[in-house]
Amino acid sequence: MKWATRAGLHVDRTACAWLIRRFVDEQAEFVFVDDPDQVPPDATPFDMRGVELSHHAGDCSFETVLRRYELEDPALWEVARIVHEADLEDERFDAPEARGLDVLIRGLSMTHGDAQMLELTGPLYDGLYEYKRRASMLGREPS
Amino acid sequence: MLTFVTVVTPLVMLPAVDQGLWVLLAYRLPREPSAPRLAVWRKLKRLGVAQLVDGLVALPLDSRTREQLEWLADDVLEAGGESWVWIARPGTAAQERALAAGLQTAVAEQYRAVSAEARAAAADGSPASRRTLARLRRQLERIRRRDHFPPFEREEAQRAVEALTAALEQRAA
Repeated sequence: MKWATRAGLHVDRTACAWLIRRFVDEQAEFVFVDDPDQVPPDATPFDMRGVELSHHAGDCSFETVLRRYELEDPALWEVARIVHEADLEDERFDAPEARGLDVLIRGLSMTHGDAQMLELTGPLYDGLYEYKRRASMLGREPS
Repeated sequence: MLTFVTVVTPLVMLPAVDQGLWVLLAYRLPREPSAPRLAVWRKLKRLGVAQLVDGLVALPLDSRTREQLEWLADDVLEAGGESWVWIARPGTAAQERALAAGLQTAVAEQYRAVSAEARAAAADGSPASRRTLARLRRQLERIRRRDHFPPFEREEAQRAVEALTAALEQRAA
C-alpha cells in the first residue's frame, strides 16, 4: 500500500511511518508531499491537515493510528506518550524521554533527507519499543 | 517598572531592512459551548502568540510554529468554527518591531517572575524549596518554548534557578 505525508519529517511522522510499516502494512511505501493536494489518489495520507489519520481531539497522529488500527499493545502506548510530548509539548503526559527524542530527530532532519530519515529512525523506534516492552513485562526499567 | 524596562532595553535584534515572514491564524469559534474556546485560548497562550486583533494571532514563521498553528486551525474547524492559516510579511519594519517587542515584553515578565521566586526560595531555604526548584525548572522550560525573541531576562532567570540549585546543594552537604 502507498502512504503519504508531509515532507520535512519530524517525530510524529517518523514514528507513524515506523508504526505503519511494523504493525499495519509491512509492504508500506511512503511518499512525501508539500501540499495536501499532491497526495496520490491511491495513497493513504497521515499526519496532514484534514485527514483521518491525523491530530484529533488532542491526540497526535501516532495515537490516532493506534486507535484506528486497534493496536492495544501497552508498550506501543508507552511509546505514544513519548511521541505525544515530543510533538505537542502540552504536558498531558509525564514523559521525560520526549525532549531527548525531539532533539535527536530534529538533529537528524538537519543532516538527512526524508527517505533516509525513515531508514535511520526505524531502528531507533524498534529499540524504544523493545525497551518499553521489557519495562512493562518486568514492571520496572530494564537494565 | 514595566514601562521603564520597555524604554531602556534594546528590545529586538532584527535585520533593519528585510521583514521576516510570519504565520498568521485567523479564526472564529461559536460563543457556545465555551470549552473549545477555552481550549484554543489555552493553546494559544502556551504557544506565546502575538494577538493582533480579536481572532487573529501571529508567530514568527518556522516549520514548527507553522505546524502548531495549522493543528490549532484544525481544532477550531473540529469545534465547528472557521479558521485560515496565512504566511505573511509585515508591511513595515516598524510594524514587525512592534510585534516582536510585544512578544518579548510578555516573556520578559514571565522570566522575571521565575527569577523572583528562585531568589526568594534560595533565601528561604525551607525543605519546600526543593519542590519549588523542580517547579521553576519546568516553568522555565515552558517559557523558553514560547520565547521567540529572547530578552536578557531569560539568562537572568536561568542564572537565578542555577543559583537556587547550588544553594540547595550546599545546604544538603
